[in-house]
Amino acid sequence: MPLSFKAIQLARDGHLSGLDTSGFTVSAVNKIFRYGAPVGTVFRPYRQLDRCMDSLQQLMVEAENRGEVLAAGTVVQADVLTGSCGRFSRSWYAPAGGIWLAMAWPDTLLPEFSRLLPFAVGLACCRMIRSYRVDASLQWVNNVLVSGKKIAGILCQTVLSPQGERYHLLGVGINVNNRFFPEELQDDAVGLAGLYGQPISLEECTGRLLAELSWTLGLLCYDEALALQEQESCEQGRFSLLLRSWQQYSNIRGQRVQYGFDVQKKPLYRAVITGLDPCGGLIMELQDGSTITEYSGEIRYLG
Amino acid sequence: MSSSGEIRFDEIISHYRSDPYDYVDMHAVHTGKVHFLVQEKSEVKGPSGEWKHLPGTPLYEITRERNSKIITSQTNGMVSSIYRELDGKFVEAEEKLLTIRHPLKKKEIIEAILQKVLFLFGAPERARYYFAMDIQSRIDQKGVRSVFIQPGDEIITMSLMKRDTPVYYTGEPGIIHSVYFKPGDSVDQGVPLIGVCAEDKLPLVQRVITRVKAEWE
Repeated sequence: MPLSFKAIQLARDGHLSGLDTSGFTVSAVNKIFRYGAPVGTVFRPYRQLDRCMDSLQQLMVEAENRGEVLAAGTVVQADVLTGSCGRFSRSWYAPAGGIWLAMAWPDTLLPEFSRLLPFAVGLACCRMIRSYRVDASLQWVNNVLVSGKKIAGILCQTVLSPQGERYHLLGVGINVNNRFFPEELQDDAVGLAGLYGQPISLEECTGRLLAELSWTLGLLCYDEALALQEQESCEQGRFSLLLRSWQQYSNIRGQRVQYGFDVQKKPLYRAVITGLDPCGGLIMELQDGSTITEYSGEIRYLG
Repeated sequence: MSSSGEIRFDEIISHYRSDPYDYVDMHAVHTGKVHFLVQEKSEVKGPSGEWKHLPGTPLYEITRERNSKIITSQTNGMVSSIYRELDGKFVEAEEKLLTIRHPLKKKEIIEAILQKVLFLFGAPERARYYFAMDIQSRIDQKGVRSVFIQPGDEIITMSLMKRDTPVYYTGEPGIIHSVYFKPGDSVDQGVPLIGVCAEDKLPLVQRVITRVKAEWE
């Protein structure tokens, strides 16, 4: 049986009502919720798909063929994915028991803020996992780790519809009740239920995730409006609210890492993380004491 | 280039022979109070290090609302002129502050001439870039100067903060003649990624290269 959207909505609403919004005024919280409201308003559950992102793109085409546009926040979810992959076409194992979904978000943000979308999605996943009292943390840009093992993966792509509308496709994979991983992933992957100590309702978990996505994407939009009011940009040193929040869920500072554009295939150098710059760049100290800031690529902790 | 599209080789080569330099103007990055850190005739260096992570020579400091920023040189050369009267003054964004005279190498001269002929397709944002899979496989099979592209083709993928965005070509149809980045390289906004040449201009481009190589010592 595909997941029940009604149960997901109930879980989402329940989670939203108790969401951690500390540090924000009531007025700001209301605005953030309004900005994030489209998340998951259209929800398409499937038993099995090849890839959620492909299915979203298909919905985009179908909507345009009907003379409409795909609704912002449309989510495609599948119980099982048979052809999922990560960046650089890395395989992604998506059996029954996990949360596998993708959401379409229209490209309405300024570039300074749309580049933070991957942070927003990672932050939402991390907050959702912590709501199960599991000590997850964020690794730049958006890997979610528990004790060094990957519990969630995020894939963000920007696509152009046939009629020229730009959408961000935000793909999320979270290991929940799935406990068995392929041999090559056994030392690097972990599932939420195993850490929580009991099986988890996927509807409840998906609802919480949608609530957190609603918060973090809403926060990003709210932040953009504030920056426009303040007439300040990250280039001028303005640290966004989203990145401030991201940092609270991360322990990157002081980590020894290997960096590479594709760190698995072609690691470039080793460094120690000293922090984030206001635009989300990763600041690292190289072995010769010099500093470098990266805005793309990926890292691997060296322990 | 003349109005007929022909390159006046003698004129261009004589220009570069008499003045083999590029003049890089440095403008204020935003409004603020400027304090120069170099003088006229100072030698300056561009970024260095294996990852180009060591900043170049500090050129000026600009302070706005108690936030100061040091702007460094992006190229090697010598400060050929400086608006010294602006030192310590408040300037508007984009105000010209100084000029660096950069000595050109033969390869750079060829590129400078080619860039007058080619359509340059620049990086939309500071990010890392790689060719779209289809373009990369065509390059691997046939070589870069055999790949024809036209407006609307997905040619490059921009990777920024772990978000991949396809980049669609918007210039004139033609052959990818020059590639100015290596896959996975970090490229600043506006810096050319590729130079595209209309098919009928290819012989002309080849003549430019041959002529400059032959004549330039």
